[in-house]
Amino acid sequence: MVISEQGYVHWQGTFVERRFPWWPITRLGIRLAFKRKFFKFVFSISLLPAVMFSTGVYISERLDDFQFMLKGPDRLLEVNPVFFKSYFTSEPLLFLMVMIMVLAGAGLICDDLKYNSLQLYFSRPLRKRDYVLGKMATVFFFLLILTLVPGLLFVLLKLIFAGSFKFLANYPWIPVSVIAFSLLVTLFFAFYTLLVSSLSKNRRYVSILLFLIYIFSNVFFGIFYSIFHNPYFCLLSIQCDIQQVGAAFFRQSPQYDVPWIYSFLVLAAICCLSAFVLKRKIRGVEVVK
Amino acid sequence: MNVELKDIHFNYGKITALDGVDLALSEGACGLLGPNGAGKSTLLRILLGFLSPERGEGRVLGYDIKKEQFLIRRSVGYMPEDDCLIAGMDAVTFTAYFGEMSGMPRQEAMKRAHDVLFYVGLGESRYRLLETYSGGMKQRLKLAQALVHDPKLLFLDEPTSNLDPQGRNEILDLIKDISSKKDIQVLISSHILPDIEYTCSHVVILNKGKVAAQGDIEALKEIQYSLYEIKTKGENGGFLKALKDKGCRVEETEDQIMKVYMPANLSRNEIFQAALRENIQIRYFVKSRTSLEDLFAKTVGVD
Repeated sequence: MVISEQGYVHWQGTFVERRFPWWPITRLGIRLAFKRKFFKFVFSISLLPAVMFSTGVYISERLDDFQFMLKGPDRLLEVNPVFFKSYFTSEPLLFLMVMIMVLAGAGLICDDLKYNSLQLYFSRPLRKRDYVLGKMATVFFFLLILTLVPGLLFVLLKLIFAGSFKFLANYPWIPVSVIAFSLLVTLFFAFYTLLVSSLSKNRRYVSILLFLIYIFSNVFFGIFYSIFHNPYFCLLSIQCDIQQVGAAFFRQSPQYDVPWIYSFLVLAAICCLSAFVLKRKIRGVEVVK
Repeated sequence: MNVELKDIHFNYGKITALDGVDLALSEGACGLLGPNGAGKSTLLRILLGFLSPERGEGRVLGYDIKKEQFLIRRSVGYMPEDDCLIAGMDAVTFTAYFGEMSGMPRQEAMKRAHDVLFYVGLGESRYRLLETYSGGMKQRLKLAQALVHDPKLLFLDEPTSNLDPQGRNEILDLIKDISSKKDIQVLISSHILPDIEYTCSHVVILNKGKVAAQGDIEALKEIQYSLYEIKTKGENGGFLKALKDKGCRVEETEDQIMKVYMPANLSRNEIFQAALRENIQIRYFVKSRTSLEDLFAKTVGVD
């Protein structure tokens, strides 16, 4: 007897109450991201800054061994707040984070809109906030690997290579800053990705938009700054806003003479806009009143 | 009662979608019929908790539709009308995923997904990417994801749309099998009357947001009216008027046969008496076997 001839059989199991109902959504998002073309390559490339900075931590403790390689002043290889700020606000890292979002985050909501799968999600015992959390957590997973994990790894490596807790005694707030800034940047990018992803049903369009908004916000800042020489135009640039806030988190003076809180407010405003749009766009059925 | 609604009202802005719907469904398969805009989809959405009624109350499987949507969704399967999939997935992962979303443990959801896919006839193609599925396969897949958590109640929204005749028959056989032998109640929203007639024992006919008729299909066809086919000789203008005055609905077919829908309280002698008064010869008089189509036309008032 073939299986199909056995007919329908009732399920004898019992339902489980999940503590994190959003976890299956996150797991699927991560899995689908790794299936995408070029994703593994870009993700590997995006880990390079972390590898380089980790090497820097090692070299900073073995300066004598690497003296022949040093061309400039050796303070470049000092592991201090500047080192952490340089890593977290470096343009290549931020750019690679955007690329990760383009490949892994663009389709998170737009594919569900395109293929009408929202009604399948919401015909299950799933809250809207669990759905959004699940999608956000996918972005969190990838971006925290590029921010939080390396940040804490640098601290750990420094302690291991130095063989003492002097670094933590000098900068006890660094681990907290690493955690707080990693979460902030990741939260912002998660909101930003979901916002753009919910605006269209076309994944390609969303990918381009994610990329262009980030790049052109920077280009516009450059144009206006060169014309008017007003540093407040840095608020237009997502990259500059992150760098300004990053400088404050690592107790460094910001690159532009603008209070960092303004940049923080710009990032927060984008997050609020995203939350507002997501609340309106994500629903089980399209209701036109 | 599995589904019980009392005085349900819902508006889309100024447009009334449901206007005082009362409904009571128990075991078996039930068809939800109605012309476009009658409120079928809105009713399904309210039953699932996608929309909250502006007035009225209701229970699905004993759970309140306003407060206990979560419990309803755990016990109910829903097959939407539109094509729904997640790009980049195969059928097993897709079905298991939605089983998991319903609250099934992961391993059991995966095992169950295989069983259900075999049941709906997708066993051989369960590892194929969903984007490569045909329309018929997508319909079966939607049925599989609706069945994966073994619901007590199944809502099917236009289950046979976009299907070729063979695919349609296969899906209908599946639905009939599920509803008749598996202790699962099925509520089918469809505009294809033969599908409802084939699969369902009960029917709810919605018209302009109100329940126009509901009950056992056979009983409705018998009780509400009798259908006669009549052929006459002579000028039948006055005869038609007399029949309409008595509350009959008359349709004339291309081959000059009149279909007379007669109210249940009227005797067929009235037809002969009217013919006598109007000096009309009745050459052909047959009590027609009523179909759901006739019932629908009579209830909704459209051909």
